[in-house]
Amino acid sequence: MTLNTGRLLRVDLSSGKVSTETIPESITEDFVGGRGYGISYLYQELAPGIDPLGEKNKLMMLNGPLAGNMAQAVSRWMVCTRSPLTGAFARSVCGADFGAWLKFAGYELIIVEGKAEKPVYVHLTADGCQILDAGEIWGKDTKETQAWLTRQYGSNTRTACIGPAGENLVKYAAIVSDRRTAGRCGTGTVMGSKNLKAIAVTAERKIQLADAEAYDKLAREQVDIIRNNRGFQNHKEWGTTATQDITNAIGVYPVQNFRYGQQTDYEKITGEQYRKLRTGDMGCYSCPARCGKVHTVTSGVYAGAHSEGPEYETIWAFTGPIESNSIEASIAADQLCDDLGLDTISTGGCIGFAYELYEKGLLKKSDTDGLELIYGRHEPMITLVKKIARREGIGDLLAEGTMRAAATIGKGAEAYAMHVKGLELPAYEPRGAKSQGYNYVTANIGANHCYGYAAQDIFGVPEPRPTDRFSEENADVVIYNQDGTAFKETGIVCGFAGGWGWVPDLFGKLLAAARGIERFADNDYLNQVGARIFNLERAFNVREGFYRKQDTLPERMLTEPLHTRKAPGEGQMVSHQDEFLDEYYSLRGWTKEGIPDPEKLKELGLDFALKDMTRTKTK
Amino acid sequence: MSIAVNIPPFLQTLADGMKQIDVSGDTVGECLDELVKRYPRLKDRVFTGVGKIHKGFNIFINGESASPDVLAKPVEDGDIIHIAHPIFGG
Repeated sequence: MTLNTGRLLRVDLSSGKVSTETIPESITEDFVGGRGYGISYLYQELAPGIDPLGEKNKLMMLNGPLAGNMAQAVSRWMVCTRSPLTGAFARSVCGADFGAWLKFAGYELIIVEGKAEKPVYVHLTADGCQILDAGEIWGKDTKETQAWLTRQYGSNTRTACIGPAGENLVKYAAIVSDRRTAGRCGTGTVMGSKNLKAIAVTAERKIQLADAEAYDKLAREQVDIIRNNRGFQNHKEWGTTATQDITNAIGVYPVQNFRYGQQTDYEKITGEQYRKLRTGDMGCYSCPARCGKVHTVTSGVYAGAHSEGPEYETIWAFTGPIESNSIEASIAADQLCDDLGLDTISTGGCIGFAYELYEKGLLKKSDTDGLELIYGRHEPMITLVKKIARREGIGDLLAEGTMRAAATIGKGAEAYAMHVKGLELPAYEPRGAKSQGYNYVTANIGANHCYGYAAQDIFGVPEPRPTDRFSEENADVVIYNQDGTAFKETGIVCGFAGGWGWVPDLFGKLLAAARGIERFADNDYLNQVGARIFNLERAFNVREGFYRKQDTLPERMLTEPLHTRKAPGEGQMVSHQDEFLDEYYSLRGWTKEGIPDPEKLKELGLDFALKDMTRTKTK
Repeated sequence: MSIAVNIPPFLQTLADGMKQIDVSGDTVGECLDELVKRYPRLKDRVFTGVGKIHKGFNIFINGESASPDVLAKPVEDGDIIHIAHPIFGG
């Protein structure tokens, strides 16, 4: 069995130089691939304190060792960088085909450095890489951009690109591929800051495995397991379009900028209602689920709106924050975000924030370009999406994200900014699912639902143990979820597919066959890799000045009781954040300030980070 | 004694399109037994061959998870049972 560590492509947009490197075995042994490679290279290559939108920041696009082969639901790709929205470590995961195509071209990692003098795009094939003038596509939306590049290079081309939002440096701009996005943390903003419009890959299918025969056998086993898994069958039929049925029923669907846990008349936005407008489905490379449900609006003011989605988070982002029951408006908003290149969660969160400020009188009609931001009215929401992408009027302020916009507005607006570390909260109410809330608090990228999804609280999953969703004593479960996510994202396993019965055992064996490193088949070792990745990301953040102080939920969760209408959980608050953090840090092996302890770093083989931890002073 | 079982969209086609079905029983297990007797096509989707709930499902009583020992959980008149399958993300 040969060793297969993968190759990286380095593209320096300042000098125009392009080079390739084989990833060293030592990095592969310790970090496996995917998110592990991302933080490993980012930590080693990024100087502390650089401007996230300056030329010294780097943009890393990664697939995993399993991408582009027969194994199912493992061809996702991700972006790692320093976030312009939070200033912290950023990782944002995306689907569609781009990850597989990157592998076909012969790479597991692209590192984009520097800044081009004028707009460019990168065209990559198995034979080489060119940096080319993007004058003709700068200003175009993501659909037009991808279509243009496909016309140039043929149907065997897959593209990751930004839209106008990324060009205009909206702080939460997304990178879009097909109709999927690496949405969170402003990865598209970093791309825009480098004057990089797109990366297009033209390639033919090519296998890169250490032991193709063993891999093929394992992949067939995986296919059988998935095919017979009930969770898979349900996911194939519904995707995430019915999740709001349960989150409303249990009172964790955030409504009116996180004041309520249940939407009035939520029967109007159930999965069944979205099903009526479904016109197709879409999926990622080598995944049988095709869980992206396509919707088309056939009547009313949004007639003609057509989107691959919205999925659960986006359904929420364009209903809950402003308490709108218009599924048609949510489809139109989703389409706009994909076209313009915006993160739907942060966009919806910023709009909900604006609606509440309007209600409170902190924003007046003269501040909102004449828009009346009244709960339930969805037309202004659609206008705001466009204004944000173009940074027009009030959109320029909201394009900064809730944390910065609140600081600019002042007058107590900070109390209504629903973010952790600057990243807007997603669609699960922390007071009704506290392990999920504490995942937001401690996730290295800020408030992200997929960084350690608390299925125990939300769906009653009993592993590693059942939780009381109102309890604040589940630090061990939060860590279990976070480290488990980190090792699965070395894969890069789709978050949904992680629940289809083949992880962790088959996952580890597939990694071993792909890489030619036997220890990857050992689940205990993979758990250690997960902890290593998470701790190094934390060390990255500590180096940038993030400590205990920034590990906090928004003030509302700590001081205001949740109102759940007809659902359970009325009056819940987060009351023991300090005690939780003490326990979490202790279990992690971190100091009271949330800094990884030297012994913990040594135990995880992260000795090289010691010098940064001892040098750092608490801000 | 009447317990409402909320049928999620992904199971409604196996229950003649019903969204909610009233059953009786003192425990979740008894209620679900009655449910699958009336709608036999639900049986293989909800239960394993040895009478346990499939791993892909979780049961809620009035919005609270019934885990662990789901089938033994007592229910009272007027309770609402939700059947859900976990989504690990969104």
